[in-house]
Amino acid sequence: MTFNPAILTDNWREILDGMALTILIWAAGTAIGLVIGLAVAVLQLFTNRWLAAPLTLYVAVMRGTPFLIQLFVIYYGGPFFGLDLTPLTAGIAGLALYGGAYFSEIFRAGFLSVPPGQIEAARMMGIGRLDIVRHVQLPQMLVIILPALANMTVLLSKETAVLSVITVNELTSVVQSIGSTTFAFAETLLFLALVYWAFLEIVTAAARRLEKRVGRFMLRTPS
Amino acid sequence: MTATPDTGSRPIIDVRGVWKRFGTAEVLKGIDLAIRKSEVTCIIGPSGSGKSTLLRCIAFLEEYSEGEIYIEGELLGFSLENGKRRRVSDAEVARVRRNVGFVFQQFNLWPHMTALENVAMPLKLARGIAREDAEKRARRMLEKVGLGHRAEAYPSQLSGGQQQRVGIARALAMEPHIMLFDEPTSALDPELVGEVLQVMRDLAAEGMTMAVVTHEMGFAAQVADTVVFIDHGVIAASGSPQQVFRKDENPRLRQFLQNYFERNVFWQGAEDGAAP
Amino acid sequence: MFDVNLIIKSLPMLLQASVWTVIYSLSSVAIGFCIGTLVCAAGLSSSRLGRGFSAFYVSFFRGVPLLVQLLISYYCLPLIGVNVPSSVAAVGTLALCTGAYLAEILRGGFLGIPPGLIEAARMVGLSRAKILTRIEVPLAVRLTLPSLVNETTMMVKASSLISVVGVLELTRLAQNIATSTFQPLEIYLTAGAIYFVINGAITLVGGFAESRFRLEKAR
Ligand SMILES: Nc1ncnc2c1ncn2[C@@H]1O[C@H](COP(=O)(O)OP(=O)(O)O)[C@@H](O)[C@H]1O
Ligand SMILES: [Mg+2]
Repeated sequence: MTFNPAILTDNWREILDGMALTILIWAAGTAIGLVIGLAVAVLQLFTNRWLAAPLTLYVAVMRGTPFLIQLFVIYYGGPFFGLDLTPLTAGIAGLALYGGAYFSEIFRAGFLSVPPGQIEAARMMGIGRLDIVRHVQLPQMLVIILPALANMTVLLSKETAVLSVITVNELTSVVQSIGSTTFAFAETLLFLALVYWAFLEIVTAAARRLEKRVGRFMLRTPS
Repeated sequence: MTATPDTGSRPIIDVRGVWKRFGTAEVLKGIDLAIRKSEVTCIIGPSGSGKSTLLRCIAFLEEYSEGEIYIEGELLGFSLENGKRRRVSDAEVARVRRNVGFVFQQFNLWPHMTALENVAMPLKLARGIAREDAEKRARRMLEKVGLGHRAEAYPSQLSGGQQQRVGIARALAMEPHIMLFDEPTSALDPELVGEVLQVMRDLAAEGMTMAVVTHEMGFAAQVADTVVFIDHGVIAASGSPQQVFRKDENPRLRQFLQNYFERNVFWQGAEDGAAP
Repeated sequence: MFDVNLIIKSLPMLLQASVWTVIYSLSSVAIGFCIGTLVCAAGLSSSRLGRGFSAFYVSFFRGVPLLVQLLISYYCLPLIGVNVPSSVAAVGTLALCTGAYLAEILRGGFLGIPPGLIEAARMVGLSRAKILTRIEVPLAVRLTLPSLVNETTMMVKASSLISVVGVLELTRLAQNIATSTFQPLEIYLTAGAIYFVINGAITLVGGFAESRFRLEKAR
């Protein structure tokens, strides 16, 4: 077995492009996923059951089926509904819908973690439902659910690799194709693993630091 | 004693034949109760007898199952359409009870806001009062309960007694016509009870209409115009403190008071269980 | 048009392939559980080497996308002279990966056992090994049952990725049918539904086990 790192340095431009795309997909998918998650949680908790039931089904389906199958349905099944998405759009949409389901569960738990007495107190003061969400529930629960949100965000960064299967030119896809054209599988794939590993370690450490800072804020104002 | 109650006029709170069921459990079984302007009504009774539930129904934090509750003449929570009651909108509920203040056993302060913000925020959001005015009024209210110097503190930096006084200031800031207290001192360490009771005494002396669920018999005896004893979801005795504490023969009431005095006897002189 | 006939026609084949999905994912969880217990034990041991290895293991297998792990085992094992069927390599990779997650879950379980229970066992003279196998592991499993069940459903989903390295299971078969019939929507929705049912069944069984083994009996 030979080991030739030059294969990587020769192709650094594509590799960097792949990395950039991976990060873009991750950021976009997470951002949209957070919005979806919050909207779903609010609608589930504060509207009638006819609206809540389909949302509960959405969450259950996204959590109960493989991400890969979801991507296939969106990308290959999209044209059936007249949705001719590019691999990239389909991939980001898939990631957002997948993450949104998990985020919604986190937000839901967050809403329920605020003691009901505090909401009753706000109702007694005549504060409106949305103002209660905004001024009483969200500020408190964000502190509580931050670790779970961060954890899910980190998990989503790994899921971006799956987009290579629907031919999105993100990092895994780029490096893998370099491997297959040069037959330098060991160099390329081990490098790929190291990049993800380092990236996840960095992101995880950043999340920990953020949690600690927010935790200190919590110490100042616990319930 | 408080300012003289005006017994003739329409009650501020009128509870008529109210029932409350949780599933099959009947917690309130036909409660009739009228509270007039400037009256202080203390509600006593064993744990689980339905005191909190009654107060929460009056605040419409619980929907009562049967009967009627009128607040200053308006039916609370329902509309009557040819004899059938229909739940009204949340906005309508909020309108009818906007003059009702509630003080919780567990304070229920919002922990991410300072004492000042706790009092000022509802003024801004529910009454649309401009920020400076809201904060000015909030500060005044905190001073009224003796906490002007702690306005910038978070709830976690306050003692239980101070937190409850913020809770009272928060309710008072909305300028309620009646204040409901659900065991306001039960979550407090004994040495902190006094400061909260003092604030409530001052309020009563100013003529505030109050309904107080409490285990502080001394407070009830001194401040109440009416004492109501609830047992198993019915009003088993009611009247002046004198009447309820000294004269009423209801055996459940006597047993309840007996237990209370035995718990509180700690020296020989109080042995005969004499009432205050 | 949405082709219900195609679904009916291909359902038996898809169900057959889903048996492989169940076999692969459950066996990887079973092997992964043993790996996870060992890694967790190493992590809680007093040996610095053990703790270091455990931390490294968990960090690596949770830090690299499973798809990349599968690609490495598929392409690189032959390079170092390991020639096993791709299904074996794939299950092994799934097991190594879930082992890292299970180690973390079990760790929480072990740390959650009230120390008094262990002290009580020590006081009645149980040996260290007996305490581990008779007290600690059963308690840790009960404490973490919801997470263990959840991890199992995660592995059922993750097993779809082994289609990428050519192992025949539900997703792979669905792909084959979809490309030959040009009707991907019907086929992938059906495959998704089968996964959903499998995970529903696992959650159901898990919930039953939870209520059966609940530590504080709810009267
Ligand atoms: N939300 C509820 N659901 C079911 N039962 C309740 C609920 N709230 C109160 N109860 C029951 O109603 C009874 C009276 O409760 P409560 O009014 O809190 O008593 P008190 O305040 O006099 O101690 C109790 O038996 C209690 O268990
Ligand atoms: Mg009570």
